[in-house]
Amino acid sequence: MTATENTIRFSVHTLDKATKAKVTLENYYSNLIAQHVERKQRLAKLEESLKDDSLSEEQKHEKRLQHAQKETEFLRLKRSRLGVEDFEPLKVIGRGAFGEVRLVQKKDTGHVYAMKILRKADMLEKEQVAHVRAERDILVEADHQWVVKMYYSFQDPINLYLIMEFLPGGDMMTLLMKKDTLSEEFTQFYIAETALAIDSIHKLGFIHRDIKPDNLLLDAKGHLKLSDFGLCTVITSSPMDSKRRAESWKKNRRALAYSTVGTPDYIAPEVFLQTGYGPACDWWSLGVIMYEMLIGYPPFCSENPQDTYRKVMNWRETLVFPAEVPISEEAKDTIIKFCCEAERRLGSQKGIEDLKIIPFFRGVDWEHIRERPAAIPVEVRSIDDTSNFDDFPDVKLEIPSAPMPQDGEVNYKDWVFINYTFKRFEGLTQRGTPTKK
Amino acid sequence: KKKFAHGTIRYSLHKQACASLNSGINLRGAVKLPEGEDLNDWIAVHVVDFFNRINLIYGTISDYCTEQTCPTMSGGPRFEYLWADGEKYKKPTPLPAKEYISNLMDWIEVQINNPALFPCTSDLPFPKNFEKLCSKILARLHRVFVHVYIHHFQNIVTIAAEAHVNTCYKHFYYFVTEFDLVSQKELEPLAVMASKICKDC
Ligand SMILES: Nc1ncnc2c1ncn2[C@@H]1O[C@H](COP(=O)(O)OP(=O)(O)OP(=O)(O)O)[C@@H](O)[C@H]1O
Repeated sequence: MTATENTIRFSVHTLDKATKAKVTLENYYSNLIAQHVERKQRLAKLEESLKDDSLSEEQKHEKRLQHAQKETEFLRLKRSRLGVEDFEPLKVIGRGAFGEVRLVQKKDTGHVYAMKILRKADMLEKEQVAHVRAERDILVEADHQWVVKMYYSFQDPINLYLIMEFLPGGDMMTLLMKKDTLSEEFTQFYIAETALAIDSIHKLGFIHRDIKPDNLLLDAKGHLKLSDFGLCTVITSSPMDSKRRAESWKKNRRALAYSTVGTPDYIAPEVFLQTGYGPACDWWSLGVIMYEMLIGYPPFCSENPQDTYRKVMNWRETLVFPAEVPISEEAKDTIIKFCCEAERRLGSQKGIEDLKIIPFFRGVDWEHIRERPAAIPVEVRSIDDTSNFDDFPDVKLEIPSAPMPQDGEVNYKDWVFINYTFKRFEGLTQRGTPTKK
Repeated sequence: KKKFAHGTIRYSLHKQACASLNSGINLRGAVKLPEGEDLNDWIAVHVVDFFNRINLIYGTISDYCTEQTCPTMSGGPRFEYLWADGEKYKKPTPLPAKEYISNLMDWIEVQINNPALFPCTSDLPFPKNFEKLCSKILARLHRVFVHVYIHHFQNIVTIAAEAHVNTCYKHFYYFVTEFDLVSQKELEPLAVMASKICKDC
């Protein structure tokens, strides 16, 4: 190697490191402000709740102590460096475009989680960075009964890791494959729950855009939760992050224009067009899923994605109901109201309210559906029961570990992922209690 | 472990020396112990964070810090630091800055990763001498700042990171003075600069 080549390489490497360090420090200090403010807000919220006169001084004192203890626990948590080695992989339970999902057990506590692994290199290649950010954002924000809860995230040079709550009931795709079709009663239950889930993320300001049976997971009682915000797009902007969100939005649009995102079966026609789309696209997907539940296959399914795409775009001609599988007029009517022009689509006007007056949903207890028994009770024998999942015998259980980067070697442009670490405050200190925003 | 040579410190600090990130943040307020918080936990989380950030900062200029450029660990002509760890180096020994800092960082890493010293689950207590240990760690971390500021500030300017380093130093300074963790003697090499950049919020 010549001297000049050497100096060039040297300086590129140095600049690389410098940029990364600078971004890290900038992030650190902007997070520090946010954390400082949030901590104050948590305290203010506590004091607000203590204004209640029915509490004795002693009880108030006790509450303040508890609060301080939680804050201290959080500080300790911040120091604990979580990594792959803290989790024992138990089984591979799913596979997606960028990696696998494993059932894992945290070694010290014994708690069981689902670990989603995303390969950085694949994501960079497919311009998915903004998507993962969006995923992180919604998972963090959506502290919500309809959304799979995320507890930690971390990374190594090769992968990003999401540690989520494990939903032992499996996914809707697997259920539909087992059952061929569902009765109208069961369909009503799952569509109503999915509708509530969609409505709740819309209220948070997100469009899912990739609602499909693989992303509908079932909890231990058989109730539904949404997973996979890989392709989530933001519809409203928060003042704090509007710039990054705009970036993310644009990036999503572009990635979408250039790539077929998984199966196009459930995607609304307007999403394929360059003209833009809104939250209504998620209601279209719901119609497609409802069709599949009752008929046994999605309405536009074809031999290849190109044909499916063509059928989706020509839905006026291609959305037909086979005579061999009779379904009620109410069900048919509901599907047609979901799978139509975005402007007149069910759900596009007043969200979930649009659905409540539809005959097909008559009898649904919208307020309490989650507390009532599920349509199909899930049988879970133990916390790590994976009988509701397919086997992935070809995937190794060990997590592909990263070779340590050689000193001086320029590794991945990691700063793209720098923002990617998250530890949930509530989740760890008062496990299982849903919190309201 | 420290030897004072005579001479005067000449700061070649630029105008940029006062630049810092997020002028909006009140770092002095941010380091204060929150109501009801445990002092040891508060110190522990800061020590770990400072270690990580100072490591990062030194990492950006470590390519410029060689045995040729910095044959000793010094902070200007008046201060030279000698390394002793009671194991490999029983007696205070002069080392090239790179080696000194690498030993120093390794030593700190061992301390903060030791759950008997830095417990990270709430069922474990802090050791009795925890504050003293942290004083020692922070004093040693300060020497890295001293070296970076006095010998590599030009490098920091080249990569346009002066605001980042200053912000970090300010944060560090406010923290250690708030809890009186590092002696004035240790802080002295950067005292003039500190009085310049740490006068606001
Ligand atoms: N929290 C969870 N609990 C239980 N199973 C899960 C969980 N998350 C994912 N799975 C399983 O893993 C499968 C794949 O997960 P997921 O859809 O999130 O992967 P992905 O990489 O995002 O795929 P794609 O982007 O193609 O949808 C799911 O269909 C489901 O069976």
